[in-house]
Amino acid sequence: MNQKKKKNSNEQQQFEYCEVCRLNQNQGRRHNYFPNHKTSLATLLTRFQSKLTDVKFFLKTPMLLRPEHAHQNRLWCPFCSCDILELDSHFACGNAIEHLASVEHWKSVKGFMWKYGGGMDRLDLFRISEVDYAKWEKKCRSLKTEASKVKSVVPVVEPLNNIHNELNADCVNSFQENNVNVLNFSVTNGVVPLHSYTNERAQVSGSVLSSLSEAGPSLHNMSGGIQVRHAEYLKNSTDYMENRHCSNSLARESSSCGYLTSGSVYPGVRIANGEDISLGFPKLTQISSTSQEGIEGNVHTGAPPPWFDATKGNKPDLAWKPELRGHVSSKAGKSSKLNQRRVGAAWAERRKLELELESKGGHVNNNFDANWLPNFGRVWQSGTRKESRKEFQAENKATHKADHQSEMLMPLQPYISKRMRKDASE
Amino acid sequence: MEYLLPTLREKREVDSLIRDTLDKVLVLRFGRSSDAVCLQLDDILYKSARDVSRFATVALVDVDSEEIQVYVKYFDITFIPSTVFFFNAHHMKMDSGSADHTKWVGTYMRKQDFIDVVEAIYRGAMKGKLIVSCPLPPERIPKFQLLYKDL
Repeated sequence: MNQKKKKNSNEQQQFEYCEVCRLNQNQGRRHNYFPNHKTSLATLLTRFQSKLTDVKFFLKTPMLLRPEHAHQNRLWCPFCSCDILELDSHFACGNAIEHLASVEHWKSVKGFMWKYGGGMDRLDLFRISEVDYAKWEKKCRSLKTEASKVKSVVPVVEPLNNIHNELNADCVNSFQENNVNVLNFSVTNGVVPLHSYTNERAQVSGSVLSSLSEAGPSLHNMSGGIQVRHAEYLKNSTDYMENRHCSNSLARESSSCGYLTSGSVYPGVRIANGEDISLGFPKLTQISSTSQEGIEGNVHTGAPPPWFDATKGNKPDLAWKPELRGHVSSKAGKSSKLNQRRVGAAWAERRKLELELESKGGHVNNNFDANWLPNFGRVWQSGTRKESRKEFQAENKATHKADHQSEMLMPLQPYISKRMRKDASE
Repeated sequence: MEYLLPTLREKREVDSLIRDTLDKVLVLRFGRSSDAVCLQLDDILYKSARDVSRFATVALVDVDSEEIQVYVKYFDITFIPSTVFFFNAHHMKMDSGSADHTKWVGTYMRKQDFIDVVEAIYRGAMKGKLIVSCPLPPERIPKFQLLYKDL
């Protein structure tokens, strides 16, 4: 009895990380039988299986993967804990299929199931058998030869006989007729559509999208989620919104639904036919095609802004000046009240002085130094919080010392009254 | 709308306006006046330009003119209308939930929305912030799809 207890306590002291529950536990093997572990394991496996159904679709019917879709097409393998990217593969889910058929994956699936207790009889669900893999390779080879013969870039949007697609099928078709150039543009230039939003507000739309895929399980089964998504991205956004609207209203009576469609950029959205859509769109693509010629630095890459490259006679326009002059003089007294740390405070002060000088007819040199752009540094760019804190403290100390020294260095002067000083300056 | 709000067609004009608008938000609308959505936005801008005149200046930029292409490229303007904000010659960014923080794409649903956005940017800039989050509820932010080049 005593020994058993001792053994127990010994076991309890060893902590182990459970990848499934993502926590450190000291229960040993007992942990595998905890309800929490069981449920999270089940969800993990079902989630991975649902992803595998997508992959298995492509296993049966191999498709060429266009480079612009390659980055969306990836898979996280929980057994090997690695991300399988498709950036270099020519076929949809090519790398994933290769990985799932590999011996290492098989081994790690076994190990995982043994360690976390998923049932050794289900092992075959999480891999691809060698026979299937061989078949797939064969198909791929034939597809490649075909593709090299016929160089067609027209995307395969399979007609799905599904209630959601029936609703907007004519809409899709009319769009394709009208905006063929839009489609071609996106194909030939290797343009990748947006698929991530940055903050949680936009997850409204994200959740709507997910509700779409939930609402149509048949849609999911028909052709694999990835392909459906591609088809949607190929359509343009108005179409996309309309699609969302339809499926959403079918799935549940959402109150915000009408709001969403009316909140769209393009007025033609509310009427879902191709003619209206084509009203707003070709212009947009034209603009992007003009700017496509020379891609230099832009605002995303942090290039120097064009309003500072003072090349040929960058003298401020006189037409704007009168208004500004008045503005400057009226604010001259006020500027001391403004926040000294506001954006571009230094620039504003300098520019005000320059403008005043110019109004008096003086010459101003228009050069600015390289560090006009604020550099946040530290945690914002590299290193940990701790490091930057230490750095800051060290710097703080240094400045304190410097301050002290400067105070020490201040020459002691006899007291001079303000009146006296004024007289002296005059 | 060109006769109601100042319209810029030369790079020099845009440069000087950006550089010389001090302690005020500068709102530049990139677009063309033949576009329906642009006209819608211009209407809202014009109606609220006077209301925000104490802390913002509004101007239109014609994307079709030759000299402006520098700016179109720099701000990567693919959709019109796109609205860009500046403060003291600094480009102000706004996180409105879309992937592009550098500009506002599309129109505003009402006048007050535009005023709110400009006010948020002014307040943020006065506190020294280069990026502010959008004060509008997400359903009133126009959604668009961004196309990335050479990703």
